[in-house]
Amino acid sequence: MNARGCNRTVLVVEDDHDVREAIAEVLADSRYQAVPAANGAEALRQLRAARVAPCLILLDVMMPVMDGWQFRAEQQRDAKVKDIPVVVLSAHADAGDAAARMSAVGYLSKPVALEQLLSMVERFCAVEPESEEESK
Amino acid sequence: VTDSKARLAHFGDAQLAIEGIRDYAVFMLERDGTVASWNEGGRTIKGYAPSEIIGQSHTRFYTREDVQAGKPARLLARAEREGRVEDEGWRVRKDGTRFWADVVITAVRGPDGILRGFVKITRDLTERKRADEALRQGEERLRLMIDSVEDYAIFMLDPTGRVTSWNPGAERLKGYKPREIIGQSFARFYPEEDLRAGKPARELEIAAAEGRFEEEGWRVRKDGSRFWANVVLSAVRDVRGTLLGFAKVTRDLTERRRAEQAVIERARQQGAVARLGVFAVEKGDLDEVISRAIEVVRDTLHTELVQVLELTGEGSSLTLRAGSGIDPCAVGRGRVAGQGASQLLAAEALQLDPQRLQELGFLSGQHPPSGITATIRASGRPRGAYGVFAAHTAAAREFTGDDVSFLQSVANVVSAVIDRRAMEDQLRIVEQRAQEERIRTSQIREALRERDEFISVAAHELRTPLTALQLKLQGLERGLKGIAPENNPGAGKLGDRLDGALRQTERLSHLIERLLDVSRIASGRLELARDRFDLAELVRQVAEDFREPAAAAGSELRVQAGQRVEGTWDRLRMEQVLVNLLSNAVKYGAGRPIAVRAEPAGERIRISIADQGIGIASEDQARIFSRFERAAPMRNYGGLGLGLYICQHIIDAHGGRIEVSSRPGEGSTFVVDLPLVAAHANPAGHDPPQARA
Repeated sequence: MNARGCNRTVLVVEDDHDVREAIAEVLADSRYQAVPAANGAEALRQLRAARVAPCLILLDVMMPVMDGWQFRAEQQRDAKVKDIPVVVLSAHADAGDAAARMSAVGYLSKPVALEQLLSMVERFCAVEPESEEESK
Repeated sequence: VTDSKARLAHFGDAQLAIEGIRDYAVFMLERDGTVASWNEGGRTIKGYAPSEIIGQSHTRFYTREDVQAGKPARLLARAEREGRVEDEGWRVRKDGTRFWADVVITAVRGPDGILRGFVKITRDLTERKRADEALRQGEERLRLMIDSVEDYAIFMLDPTGRVTSWNPGAERLKGYKPREIIGQSFARFYPEEDLRAGKPARELEIAAAEGRFEEEGWRVRKDGSRFWANVVLSAVRDVRGTLLGFAKVTRDLTERRRAEQAVIERARQQGAVARLGVFAVEKGDLDEVISRAIEVVRDTLHTELVQVLELTGEGSSLTLRAGSGIDPCAVGRGRVAGQGASQLLAAEALQLDPQRLQELGFLSGQHPPSGITATIRASGRPRGAYGVFAAHTAAAREFTGDDVSFLQSVANVVSAVIDRRAMEDQLRIVEQRAQEERIRTSQIREALRERDEFISVAAHELRTPLTALQLKLQGLERGLKGIAPENNPGAGKLGDRLDGALRQTERLSHLIERLLDVSRIASGRLELARDRFDLAELVRQVAEDFREPAAAAGSELRVQAGQRVEGTWDRLRMEQVLVNLLSNAVKYGAGRPIAVRAEPAGERIRISIADQGIGIASEDQARIFSRFERAAPMRNYGGLGLGLYICQHIIDAHGGRIEVSSRPGEGSTFVVDLPLVAAHANPAGHDPPQARA
């Protein structure tokens, strides 16, 4: 996945503005670029408009307009974006269960600790070519 | 001479003829009564051969009494004087036996008129005599029999219907003495309406034409009273068929008729009660049943005034509820029964005779001379009675026991409806209460469900801003560390303040987790992740973590958990329990020492945490394990009051128990008892197994 040329961009799909903003801030501190989306529909538009695909999608489950489930279904139907890994981000105890059912690569339970967030992002958006080598 | 010869010859023929007669003894007597000739009939009837009797005196044919009375000579004298004599009487045979004889003695005179002797003809009438005697005795017996019959009037009528004989039975039945009735027409035994219809004459005609007439009907006694009679009228005719009169046999069937009528009446009453019962079962409405019952009583007993009186005012008065033949305006009007009546009403049965009802004013304006009442029982009512069923007549009348039990049966039907309605009412109330209870329970359940849902939603909602807050603070902390201290002289101070802020987000996070625990427990989703580890060691570690805060509160921690106790439990949940109990001990320990112990007890572990603080009142000890409950006053001690509730459920899920013993002012001891390995639910009050030797 990273072979496609990771641009350290993370798509953050989260309906809560404050959470979206906080995630974007801490990711920016670690030199990642967060592309925010308030719901699944917006995320799909962002994804299809982007010239370079993000290396990871952080996906909230419960959202208005289009929820995480619908987004994931749409994403998997679209060959161009279906391979972008998804990490479920949820306030519910069953985040792990939801992640498994969505075939997501991982999950983060709210409240998310910064260290957990960063290590998860790093797993899929390694910077150095040698890291890329390591991940193989 | 020729003439004489001819006469002799003729006589000789006659002699032969006479000698051959068998049915009559025909013989000649000399003038003095000596037997001069004999024939075959004499031998047959009297038993003598001619040689034995010719020349003997005829007196030997007579009984001794007749001879002594001079009857033989007297009869001859009469025959001589009158030419002929006939006599019936006893005669004697040769063997001494008697026979009843018809005797004709005719004087025989010569042409000169001089008496020559007598011809005597004797006929044996014994058979006829016997028949006559039998007849006479039969008639006598019949007369005696008829006279001794008292149950039947047996008497004779002449062809016109006048009484010609009268037996004691007739006298007893009809009241007439023989002299009062013999010669009177039998028509006087008939009631007026039968006389007008010409019945007596018609009955005679039928009996004369057909030989017999029988009927049942009313007849009249001398005193004018009536009785129900069975009458048989038989025509009496002589041998030639001439109507001599009628024999009449009359029997009093009044009793039998009364008994029959009583049976019919009883069946009618029972049928009426049965139909009323069916009506009551189908309808069930009290007012409808009462008015039908009143109709049934009126039509069955033929009583003009029927009333249903309800016992009102706690049994002190009567109120007219419904009736037939009553003043409609009187319905619903109550009358105080008064002292006398109240005594009556207090009796088990409400016996109200016409006089009492009259006194109470329920018969005002009417004066029914006879009546009966029956109590309408009702178990749920004062005095156990609904009231009285009363039936009265305008004309004097004798009520039978059957009538009384009929009225009681009708009253019982009404009672059954009242009792059933009372039971239905009660059932309805019970059902209504149960329904209300169900609604209340479901409302409570719904409220609880809503609360649990709210807690769950609230906890999740709180996590979102907490996520943003925590990420921002952690980002800040991280950013601060990345700046070289020489470029940022105030970094150390800022770092401390950030630490404080982060601790608060951890507290918030912890509170939210407890709320979620409650939500999981409420919905039965508390799941354990069991691991094998040494719980005594965990006790020591947690106690170690508390050493500092305990010291800060002035409490010394004394830990006795040296012995290894290995088992399978959810480590995080166990830690949660221990933290909770220890933080409570520190919080409520009043700065006094706290003892922590962990020791194996057979297949179990026993952990106790004892403080010497404020303690818990006994009435509060049970509820501290409930949700949102705290024994301590809210103002002085913070917290959600969820800790012990969650602890108990965690321990329950492990198949263990938690108990508290405490005295206010002396402290509290919490004891946790857990099986070493996963077991099925541990029944409450079950003692832990004894340690193996």
